[in-house]
Amino acid sequence: MTTPLLSLRDIKKNFGSAQAVAGVTMDIHRNEFFALLGASGSGKTTLLRMLAGFEAPSGGDILLEGSSIAAMPPNKRPVNLMFQSYALFPHMTVAQNIAYGLEMDRLAKAEIKSRVSEILEVIQLGHLGGRKPDQLSGGQRQRVALARALVKRPKVLLLDEPLGALDKKLRSEMQLELKRLQHEFGITFIVVTHDQEEALVMADRVAIMKDGALLQVGTPREIYEYPETRFAADFIGVMNFLPVSVASGGYQGKEGPLIRAADAPELAAGSAAVAAIRSERLGVETQGENSLAGEITDIAYHGLDLLLHVKTPLAETPVISRLTADVAERLAPEVGQTITLGWSARDTRIFPA
Amino acid sequence: MTTDRRPILLMSPALLWLFGLMVVPCLLILVLAFFRRGMYGGIEYTFTLENIALVFDPLYAQIFLKSAWIAGLAAGIASILGYAAAYAIAAMPRHRQSALLFFAVLPFWSNYLVRTYAWIVLLNREGLIVNLARWVGFEGELPSMLYTEQAVVIGLIYNYLPFVILSCYAPLSRLNPEISEASRDLGASGWTTFRRVVLPMTVPGIATGFVFVFVLSIGNFVTPALLGGGQFQMIGNLVYAQFLTANDWPFGAALSMVLIMVMLGLLMAQATVADRASGGKAGDNG
Amino acid sequence: MADRNTFRLMLLILGLVFAFLYLPISVLVGLSFNEGGLPTAWTGFSVKWYGELLANKDILRAAGNTLIVAIFSTLLSTILGSLLAVGVEIRRRNGKWLETMIFAPMIIPDIVLAIALLSFFSLLGVKMGLHTIIVSHVVFNLAFVSAVVRARLKSFDWSIVEASNDLGATTATTMRRVVLPVLMPAILAGALLAFTLSVDEFIIAFFTAGAGRSSITLPMQIFSMIRFGVTPEINALATVVMAVSVVALALSQRLNRGGLPGQ
Repeated sequence: MTTPLLSLRDIKKNFGSAQAVAGVTMDIHRNEFFALLGASGSGKTTLLRMLAGFEAPSGGDILLEGSSIAAMPPNKRPVNLMFQSYALFPHMTVAQNIAYGLEMDRLAKAEIKSRVSEILEVIQLGHLGGRKPDQLSGGQRQRVALARALVKRPKVLLLDEPLGALDKKLRSEMQLELKRLQHEFGITFIVVTHDQEEALVMADRVAIMKDGALLQVGTPREIYEYPETRFAADFIGVMNFLPVSVASGGYQGKEGPLIRAADAPELAAGSAAVAAIRSERLGVETQGENSLAGEITDIAYHGLDLLLHVKTPLAETPVISRLTADVAERLAPEVGQTITLGWSARDTRIFPA
Repeated sequence: MTTDRRPILLMSPALLWLFGLMVVPCLLILVLAFFRRGMYGGIEYTFTLENIALVFDPLYAQIFLKSAWIAGLAAGIASILGYAAAYAIAAMPRHRQSALLFFAVLPFWSNYLVRTYAWIVLLNREGLIVNLARWVGFEGELPSMLYTEQAVVIGLIYNYLPFVILSCYAPLSRLNPEISEASRDLGASGWTTFRRVVLPMTVPGIATGFVFVFVLSIGNFVTPALLGGGQFQMIGNLVYAQFLTANDWPFGAALSMVLIMVMLGLLMAQATVADRASGGKAGDNG
Repeated sequence: MADRNTFRLMLLILGLVFAFLYLPISVLVGLSFNEGGLPTAWTGFSVKWYGELLANKDILRAAGNTLIVAIFSTLLSTILGSLLAVGVEIRRRNGKWLETMIFAPMIIPDIVLAIALLSFFSLLGVKMGLHTIIVSHVVFNLAFVSAVVRARLKSFDWSIVEASNDLGATTATTMRRVVLPVLMPAILAGALLAFTLSVDEFIIAFFTAGAGRSSITLPMQIFSMIRFGVTPEINALATVVMAVSVVALALSQRLNRGGLPGQ
């Protein structure tokens, strides 16, 4: 195997007695779109700032193409950051903002000019090169910030909540746009986000961070289908959690039949555990090893889908079952109705309590 | 990287300047107040409490009280006028407010002497007000208006009113209009809403305005000298005289020290009012 | 806006307050253009009193002194005050003592600072003159400059400094190409404010000018003239002084687009 583009070796960061990053080790490959996903305070931004060079690691090393950059100042690193606030220079025009980094590389005037106009076309702001940042919309500013970092053709582009300040509609457009640009430029992107949907849509691989440590690294599909911890399961998608106890051949909820699960970890009989089932895997018509009757207590429209709250003997709180539009239309469920829910043992995750 | 020494390096020239030319000279005044006056106006370096005692001599205590009375009167009237003006500005349409405020404060930044002089022009024996009175048909001798206590009070109010407007406007403009609306919604009249809700929330502005006008007035010597006439004495004039004519620096220093104590006390009281109104929270000290 | 009558009352209050604030100085300005020079009768528009000013050697010398004091104290205080502001805002965590020390020159009564400086200079045996006025004016001016610049820094997005660094600039380049241009309007506004404050300052100059007429500034000249009563010449001089402050301040406000300092 070739050396990874970027290697983090047991990176740590302490602020006084508080540990922001608690020993992160991972590799990021060429042309990868990598997402660091976590809640605020999870250490993801600190990690990003260490990669950019704004924070010195308290321990560990950062290798870029095999050589350490941990002690390299930010202005010398072939790594650029797109700031969450965009950090556009308010006194410079769009074109001047974009040219700034190239001027620092002491490129020839003619080349700077052509590269600036080239990237302005790419971000579709060719006509706005003479504007000042405060004359742009939020979406336009976001693209200028992106262009300013991208135009230097860094080895790694770091993006700190790049879509955080945009409204929902623009955000989903820009998710695809970012992916397109990443392919077009062939640059490794590392995105920090707290939005799980964003991470799943854009990234080739996602790392979930909690309390300064990596919980799980994997493709969006792996993360979604096979969460390794209860936290990771809860962080992404709508998950039903049922407190159970370990019995022979299955797991016992409050009452009702045993829950069957495949690929479950070895737990001592009688010990407490949690069974997790995704709402969309808990279907009214789904065939599976598990089946259970319950009463519909509430129905919530969720765009095209319908979320059914179903009271079952398994737990105090109702479970949530997601029906797609066509199923919902055929069944026409009503509150008070009793229905049978089914799901596969393969879709049941078991975590120690 | 943010914990390095560079900020201190940037700050140190200014801080050294302030230390050498403000802190040290002010401490010097404190020290001076405890020395004896020399035979021929110099300073004799022996410790004494005479100067401090002299400040409380009835002759001088009376001047202190009169200064406080005049400063209090000016501060009180200026607070009422300033609050009313600030309230009125805050009641105008939003886009007009900053311009109105600018023009209310503009005179404050023009020359103090000139503003005081304007009142000499108005009030003197051949001045505009006397002429106006004659013109409307007032016969006979008019009471002298210049060189009176009233003239001094008017001059102080005139000079410091913009400051009160500014300090009262700040909390008034920050007031969420929904709070007044909530009070009206709960059944309070407009006046009750003002008295029970708006006024308590904006009292720090008035306190700041009052204290500053009082502090600036009690130590003032230009206005009493110009509008009060030669015989009119306030603490400021007394201090001025000790340093520039009577040449009794230790006594002048003692007077200033007592003056500073009074001012510090008031400023501390004002800070307490501001603190209490913000609900004891740290709030914005910026 | 609750009702029409309240609004009218507010307008009335504003009208009265503005009349109180502006009538006296307007009368002064008006009289300075009165040919006869007396408040008793308007004898026609004239600028002859302004011409008289130009012929008065004392006034011209005082104006020259004032200019020297204002220019030098503005230069010094702008540099010191701006550096102070940047340092204080980078450092963020500043103790109460430090904040008080920076704030104090703005609220300390002029008379106190004036006598303190007078005692200080004479005990040190410093010969007083324009130079002592200049260094004394820097004391309060630097506080005002730093207040204006700090106000701008409060809304300053520090991430642009990191962005510049990230794009390859050194600290010096970042200062020159990013921080200074962004702060420049505030620095200029602070400088203009310092200039007007220095031009208008009377009490401290009065105490620290030393003996003799050679270092008399314009406000000192005005003070001694006013004591002898009202003359059309003072009216003209007062109008000029006022115009200078108003123009400088309007300019400062325009540059800064924030509130006036000292709020």
